[in-house]
Amino acid sequence: MILAVDNLCKRYGDLVAVDRVSFSVRRQEIFGILGPNGAGKTSTLEMIETLRPIDSGTVTLDGLDVGRHPRQVQQRIGVQLQTTSFFEKLNLRELLLLLGELYGRSVDPVQLLSEVDLQDRAKAQVEQLSGGQQHRFSVAAALVNDPLLVFLDEPTTGLDPQARRHLWGVIRRIRSEGKTVVLTTHYMEEAEELCDRVAIMDRGRIVADAPPPKLIGDLLASGFKKERVERLANLEDVFLHLTGHALQEE
Amino acid sequence: MRLRWKLTVASLKMFTRQKEAIIWTMLLPLFMVFLFGFVSFEGLGKIRIGVAGGEDEPAGQLAGQLGEVRTVQVTRGSESSELEQLTAGKRHLVLVLPEQFHAASGKELRVLVNDGTPEETQLGLLILRKVLDDETFRMHTAPGRVPMTLQSVASRRSSYIDFLLPGVLSLAIMQSGIFGVAFGFVALRKRGVLRRLSVTPMRPQDFIAAQVAMRLMVLLTQIVVLVGVGIVFFDLQFLGSLLDLFAMGLLGGAVFLAIGFFLAGIARTEDQVVPLANVVSLPMMLLSGVFFSRSNLPEPVRLVTEFFPLTYLADGMRSIVLEGSTLPALWLQLAGLALWSIVSVWAAVKVFRWE
Repeated sequence: MILAVDNLCKRYGDLVAVDRVSFSVRRQEIFGILGPNGAGKTSTLEMIETLRPIDSGTVTLDGLDVGRHPRQVQQRIGVQLQTTSFFEKLNLRELLLLLGELYGRSVDPVQLLSEVDLQDRAKAQVEQLSGGQQHRFSVAAALVNDPLLVFLDEPTTGLDPQARRHLWGVIRRIRSEGKTVVLTTHYMEEAEELCDRVAIMDRGRIVADAPPPKLIGDLLASGFKKERVERLANLEDVFLHLTGHALQEE
Repeated sequence: MRLRWKLTVASLKMFTRQKEAIIWTMLLPLFMVFLFGFVSFEGLGKIRIGVAGGEDEPAGQLAGQLGEVRTVQVTRGSESSELEQLTAGKRHLVLVLPEQFHAASGKELRVLVNDGTPEETQLGLLILRKVLDDETFRMHTAPGRVPMTLQSVASRRSSYIDFLLPGVLSLAIMQSGIFGVAFGFVALRKRGVLRRLSVTPMRPQDFIAAQVAMRLMVLLTQIVVLVGVGIVFFDLQFLGSLLDLFAMGLLGGAVFLAIGFFLAGIARTEDQVVPLANVVSLPMMLLSGVFFSRSNLPEPVRLVTEFFPLTYLADGMRSIVLEGSTLPALWLQLAGLALWSIVSVWAAVKVFRWE
């Protein structure tokens, strides 16, 4: 177990944003927190990432209490925030080198960039990248300290289907290198395709936590029937069929 | 230490790649110096005397004699048109000559004077009186005049640019401190860059230290560039030591950087920064003796401006440049700036917000 969250709570005034949330993540897992906007996904993530004070409950990351040892935790995690923002006027290579310095590391920018398929944009600035490239760069930025655990907050929001699939590939590759990934999403098919396990979150609480096939199986076993039987393809499949699965170079 | 150095280098890179930053910190002060450096505020303008009436020869003679005086500009015209020019403020004196007027004619000379320009009028009258008296002397035998000999002595010429340049330099230090830091820091905060940094083990003080170091390097460059341009293009009389100028500049820079961080602490958005920074900097820009000497200010105002940080900085810089003062002689300015830096750093720490 690399991450254990126990009875985590966060209030903003009268609003209980995170309500006694507990879950745990195993090593080398892609763990998804699935929920609508405002469900408390980001607040939960930010408490784990040391960005937000924990009201009550505990988070244990690689054996460390996050509330007590934020510095050591920061050394072990890589974070992609929901809104990507980096220094202006530095190119990708310079940004990665600088971010590495913040961890006291000399990084290899080319290797990091090729990890997210941006090796030929090393001299570009973030503003010059397309949306999908910016998202991939911020994933690379989350890898500068060779973290055990990578947090991605809505990594594919706002991307077109090809760019989203591209990023899925990058995330799977990160996992195959031995890292653990925790991500939030409000795309159902993303959770289903990408995550080994998902926690479904609604109004601050976790209402289910299991591998997607099991969640679906349990629902069907309970006698659930869709009112309209799903067609064998949907519009996204049509779109991808027509425009190609490969990335339209951005 | 290594981290701070790397952060400083990165901030310098970001700074130098930003066109606006270069324009604000280097080109704008240079532009001010060029603009004001070529405009002469010194020296008396010409004294404009209108000669009206008398189309005859003696009148022409008098006009000619007046015109020979170097600071006098003579125009001739009808009484009504010259009077019109006088009321419009374009003449200092208008002489209305009777027919066949000359110094010995015994006729009365009417002089209309401009009330709005007492100094020029007074001087014009003295010149007129002298020209007329010379004429009278020439016609009568009179006691001998006091003999005078003239000898020219090369003296130190203190031009407006010598006064202006240290002032503009101080102004540039203030502006890049206050605006640069306040605006830059709020932008980083609002864009979420600082938030991104706070998930790394970097401590905020490392970042602040690098920002301050970068700004102070820019400040030293400003000093070198402006003084250099002054010496090369404007024949600036630089009598002091560059090191003293650096020391004074760095202390002033510390004050204004802290004020910048203070404003960044109280402003929520970039839009709030500009008015806040203007409220702080405009009074100093206008009243701290950057462009004009504070001795022209009304006494109570002058007394208040005595304590402005920009006044200390501009006075100190000017004294180093113009008089070659060394730091011990400028203890008052140094103490004033030191006190301001303590107060402003304290205030900045008090309101500082990373997020």
